Amino acid sequence: MIERETLEMDVLLVGAGPANLSCALHLSKLIEAHNKSAKEAGGKPLDEISIAVIEKAKEIGAHQLSGAVLDPISMKELIPDFENEGAPLEAPVGDEKVYFLTERGKISAPIIPPPLRNHGNYVVSLNRLVRWMGEKCEEAGVNIFPEFPGAHMLYDGETVTGVRTGDKGIDKNGKAKPNFEPGVDIVAKVTVLGEGVRGSLTKQLVDRLNLDRESDPQVYSVGIKELWEVPDDRFPPGSVIHTLGWPLDPHTFGGSWVYGMRDRIIDIGLAVGLDYRDPHLDPHHEFQRFKTHPLIAELLKDGKMVRYGAKAMPVGGWYTMPQMTADGVMIIGDSAGMLNGERLKGIHTAIKAGMLAAETILESLIAGDYSRAKLGAFDKRLKESYIGRELYKTRNFHQAFDKGRMLGLVTAGISTVTGGRLPRRLPIKAGHQHMQKLSTPDGQGKADRYAGLKYDDKLTFNKLTDVYYSSTHHEEDQPSHLKVVDLNICVDRCTAEYGNPCENFCPANVYEMVETGDGNRRLQVNFSNCVHCKTCDIMDPYQIINWVPPEGGGGPNYRNM
Amino acid sequence: MSEGILLFIEQRDGVLNRTSYEAMVAAQRIAAETGDKISAVVLGSGVSNVASDVAKKKVEVVYTVEDGKLAEYTPDGYTAALRRVVEKLNPRYVILSHTYQVRDFAPRLTSALGKSFVPDCIGFRVDGSEVVFTRQIFQGKITTDVRVSAEPPVFASFQAGAYRADLAEAGDAAASVEALQVDLSDVTIRTQPEEKFQEAKQAVDLSQAPLIVAVGRGIKSQENIAIIEELAKALGAEIAASRPICDNEWLPMDRQIGSSGQTVSPKLYLAVGISGAIQHVVGMKNSQTIVAINKDPEAPIFDIADYGIVGDLFEIVPALTGEIRKAKE
Repeated sequence: MIERETLEMDVLLVGAGPANLSCALHLSKLIEAHNKSAKEAGGKPLDEISIAVIEKAKEIGAHQLSGAVLDPISMKELIPDFENEGAPLEAPVGDEKVYFLTERGKISAPIIPPPLRNHGNYVVSLNRLVRWMGEKCEEAGVNIFPEFPGAHMLYDGETVTGVRTGDKGIDKNGKAKPNFEPGVDIVAKVTVLGEGVRGSLTKQLVDRLNLDRESDPQVYSVGIKELWEVPDDRFPPGSVIHTLGWPLDPHTFGGSWVYGMRDRIIDIGLAVGLDYRDPHLDPHHEFQRFKTHPLIAELLKDGKMVRYGAKAMPVGGWYTMPQMTADGVMIIGDSAGMLNGERLKGIHTAIKAGMLAAETILESLIAGDYSRAKLGAFDKRLKESYIGRELYKTRNFHQAFDKGRMLGLVTAGISTVTGGRLPRRLPIKAGHQHMQKLSTPDGQGKADRYAGLKYDDKLTFNKLTDVYYSSTHHEEDQPSHLKVVDLNICVDRCTAEYGNPCENFCPANVYEMVETGDGNRRLQVNFSNCVHCKTCDIMDPYQIINWVPPEGGGGPNYRNM
Repeated sequence: MSEGILLFIEQRDGVLNRTSYEAMVAAQRIAAETGDKISAVVLGSGVSNVASDVAKKKVEVVYTVEDGKLAEYTPDGYTAALRRVVEKLNPRYVILSHTYQVRDFAPRLTSALGKSFVPDCIGFRVDGSEVVFTRQIFQGKITTDVRVSAEPPVFASFQAGAYRADLAEAGDAAASVEALQVDLSDVTIRTQPEEKFQEAKQAVDLSQAPLIVAVGRGIKSQENIAIIEELAKALGAEIAASRPICDNEWLPMDRQIGSSGQTVSPKLYLAVGISGAIQHVVGMKNSQTIVAINKDPEAPIFDIADYGIVGDLFEIVPALTGEIRKAKE
């Protein structure tokens, strides 16, 4: 038995992203206000409340990746004077364009579709925004512990009592190294999971307590992004382009963004729906092809790629959200699927969810009741808030694309006009179930899909080179954090049925089928390339890949992403 | 009545462990504030030289415990001897440095005595007449103060580097060295020390090698590594590898060049079957002369190579080895 230290906290938040940092900051402010008014009115103030945020990254913000355009609606509530308080905003959104791309040409949208209108919003770097929110939290007395991944939920019966953090110093064979330090049991009255998309603890919790029994399966997209430095101010800060169409095929959901940042940086990315059909599809390659379109190639000409990253996002929306509270625990932000898939925005919803969670936690602290009966007020609060209304309106958006792009655009258009009202709730299945076997018409004959794609190391880069620009680093001598449950399936079934699509959907060259020397092949997992995007956990057709956090501090470093 | 500070001095084969002087600094600073006197204790067999060295420092007295059973460190011998010393002297504090040896015997010693042990301290402060020890918890994220409410003696060990050994104060005159009579005749030593060994450090420091032959995925299988070893031997070069080779454990991890391995800049870097992914290139691009052998003319390694050979390494390498041998004859 390993002896573990125990750390007692009142409120434990797992993951230092916009949802949890907003929750921690708002909660500390609410407690202060409550105690002040209690003192004045002669009531009972709360004892000192300890709030801790744990984060797997080496520093706050290092794993944060988003477009990003921020709708400031909730930031205005959290920090009303955020502009003067030094919020790192790149620029207010200025010139906006939407194009439908064909291979060489483009068709301008006559009007900007309402969901894509960004007037009043800001182009931001989520990494910088989150770092700043972290500073605000520390000023307010919140304890933030980077390099502490959550490994397991702690339960008392079915009540969540906290989180066990990951062990440090385990070698690749699972043995303790000289620097071994066992994970810590952090016990708390309320544990808030704001782990981001496809959270590994959220996954454990939702399964164990069956919190998704009434929800549709979540569907995802993966965003592939690069930052480019260009020699002149050809694309001023705040400029925005969105595109639909090429290079994605009609069965693939997605689109691109191009945002102007300060200091001649262009932020460019492609979101690819993780419910595509062709197992040969490679989101990284689609993005590389996208950059060769004349519109984009011209924009990036003589520029230099400076950063790379990838991250999945939940796009299923309203009907896919799980029950968000249980005894002693809450799930917020992307972990609970609160991203608006139609606007491709989840930062403002995460921030608002964090604030609503804080309001609920305050009531629990006052009442001394952390059961679902009390915390459950959050589910209602969220659904009745403007975030809930926004998500409800777009409840059928992604589902409309279940049958392909053209029908999807029409259905989604109707849905936008009617505020989400369609004759019926559209059905949806999990993204990986859309992948077609090689033996089917949609699955075959596209092995040459990227035959024309050449890497010139100027405009286009192979995966390994791109990974280098994500500054990803992991301790090499540790067990792989990508648990492939059954490696035989890769060889015995997957090669023939799907052609090992893990080699394609992973944007970081983690999965590689290698020759064993005796004429056979085996799956090699280059886990130290992993950029923590979660695509493999989501898209693997057999669902045998389980993403768990590596030793604390490992992963990409998304500075300024 | 407990009084004074007892400082444990660690030695092996008559050589003092330098961290004992670091612990001495802690002891001297505690003494400066509490007014306690410091006695040092050295265990072993033939430790008079160590004892007289320690006596030059600012301590009250140096005790030696000489016994054949203490000639080599054993947990049984040290625990029994120190237990008797502590019972005899009855100090308020016992200060040690947090070495592997101390980690081994101190928990056992203190639980045998039923006393408190504050391990791995990084500092202290004196609060009234009481010493409050500082130590780190949660992987060094939090620093805590530890107050001991139990009866003295209180044991505390200090982390290596918490104090600087060169700051140990010398005494005005040499302290007296006294042999302490401790009878260990009834003590059974249950462990038998084997010959000491040190696991080899990193076998090679590739950054010092003037000539390096590096092998990559193009070598295809472990058996083929032999031809690269032949080439390296003929050249008098060190052998290195790109990541896939070390991942497959065809060569040890300390031979890996690149962003997750070593960075080198030899006079000659001969890259065989290495495509030149940026992760590898960052580890060797400053080599004075780079020669690349690869069958793919598009391989990025050729972008940085001074000399490139496009072709089958299985033909080229043996031929090259032969030519080098001939030239050297």
